[in-house]
Amino acid sequence: MIRKTRVLFATRFAEMAEYRAEVIIWMLSGTISLVMMLVWMAQAAAAPGGQIGGYDGSQFATYFLSVWLVGQLLVVWVGWELDFMIRQGTLSPKLLRPLDPMWPEYAAHVAERFVRIGPMLVLLVIFAALSGASFTRDLWAYPVTLGLCILGFTCRFLYEYTLGLLAFWTESSTSFSEVAWLLYAALGGLFAPLAFYPQWVQNIAVWTPFPYMLGLPAQVLAGKATLSQAGSGALILFGWVIFFWFVRLLVWRLGLKKYGAVGA
Amino acid sequence: MTRYLRLIRIFTGATVSAQLEYRANFIGAVLSSLGQVGVALLAIGVLFGQGSDTVGGWTFREALLVTGFFILTEGFIAVFVQPNMSRIAEAIRTGSMDFTLLKPLDAQFSVSTRYLNVLRVPDILIGLGLIVYAASALTVTLAGVLIAAVLYLSALTIVYCIWLALSTTAFWFVKTQNVAELFNGVFGAARFPVTAFPLPVRFALTFVVPVALITTVPAQAMTGRLSPALALASPLVALALFAVTRWFWLRAVASYTSASS
Repeated sequence: MIRKTRVLFATRFAEMAEYRAEVIIWMLSGTISLVMMLVWMAQAAAAPGGQIGGYDGSQFATYFLSVWLVGQLLVVWVGWELDFMIRQGTLSPKLLRPLDPMWPEYAAHVAERFVRIGPMLVLLVIFAALSGASFTRDLWAYPVTLGLCILGFTCRFLYEYTLGLLAFWTESSTSFSEVAWLLYAALGGLFAPLAFYPQWVQNIAVWTPFPYMLGLPAQVLAGKATLSQAGSGALILFGWVIFFWFVRLLVWRLGLKKYGAVGA
Repeated sequence: MTRYLRLIRIFTGATVSAQLEYRANFIGAVLSSLGQVGVALLAIGVLFGQGSDTVGGWTFREALLVTGFFILTEGFIAVFVQPNMSRIAEAIRTGSMDFTLLKPLDAQFSVSTRYLNVLRVPDILIGLGLIVYAASALTVTLAGVLIAAVLYLSALTIVYCIWLALSTTAFWFVKTQNVAELFNGVFGAARFPVTAFPLPVRFALTFVVPVALITTVPAQAMTGRLSPALALASPLVALALFAVTRWFWLRAVASYTSASS
């Protein structure tokens, strides 16, 4: 088991290190939180009192840079991989292995994070210096953020995987992933802190995993969330992970039957 | 010239009929379009939802005009530009660029017009609809609309040139299939009027990467707030970029050595 994990991880890491230029390009293309940061900072500077909704320019910078960082750690593209594997049939040889094909994909995503994190931290320091962001000085916040990111990433991976499995039935499963991204971006707090939304949107959002995946760790990093908020968020996320785990398993089993029937 | 027009007609017919084979994809494409529009409207909605009447000196309707141009441009890229440009790197990697270069026809023309993605035409319609809706509450003159149309044409030229230049780099660095994502990253800023950004960023978005010329300037022309200098700058930048990318493309093709040699 441990040996399997190590081999999987090592091979996928080697593969991702080979694609490092692509990884950096993908990293640079996810700029929407940075765009929002700049606009909100300008808005705050123009507003009377220099702040909007309790955020001044530097707090906006801190929040959106945290969102950017967390968002980078939560990137998942497995839906596209599955769409390709199922339509082209490259899934078939993977089914022969005594290992659920989900694990190599999971390992690839985790390995990619290790390629990504170096240049990402460099950029973060530059952006923070340019925008005047200041992250929390409470040391507990950093391991807690990391923990929330791992849970959030696992949650996102599982639901994206489930959406990707819809490729067994439809040609356009990646469009579902795009719509899921919209929900994630909107309710996660990519455009603005969740408190800026109308009350009814916030009421809906707390029933989804998104605010705990993106907004909560960002608020922890910015020093705007307490340890108990982070703890209850982690529990909720854990619940979602278990839920999506079983949904994924169910869809996978149903899909395999369908795949066997058509692809044989 | 008529020969090229006839070719465009043939290319369009071929690519449209190929795509109509897969009609079920249409549902997916509509979902994607709605997603794109949703993101654009949410971003601007949240921004104006905090009690301020203006963003960077633009009222909601005026900013909506910019968002409309943004969605329209995204639609233009998805329908006309991206399907062609994304195939350049692939053709170089596999060596099938040989066939394009052997044809008795300008290679840049042929790599730029061969494919269309008709499934994303709804984006263009939504963008146009949004522009009309936003303009309906503003005082817009006919002259303003005409100037905006001309300026938007140069904006589209600029977009095409940037994409072509980025894709052309594949002639030297084969592995650049997603280099155009870099453009998307910067272009995301075009969803807002350029004055909504802090001053140094505004400068960069106007002069370094001319994102401001793509959406803000046509919108300014429609509302009649355009300075003559910018009105002149946009077509000039478009012409210059077109000439430079043309030269760049010819250089690239000259250094092409095919896949196996």
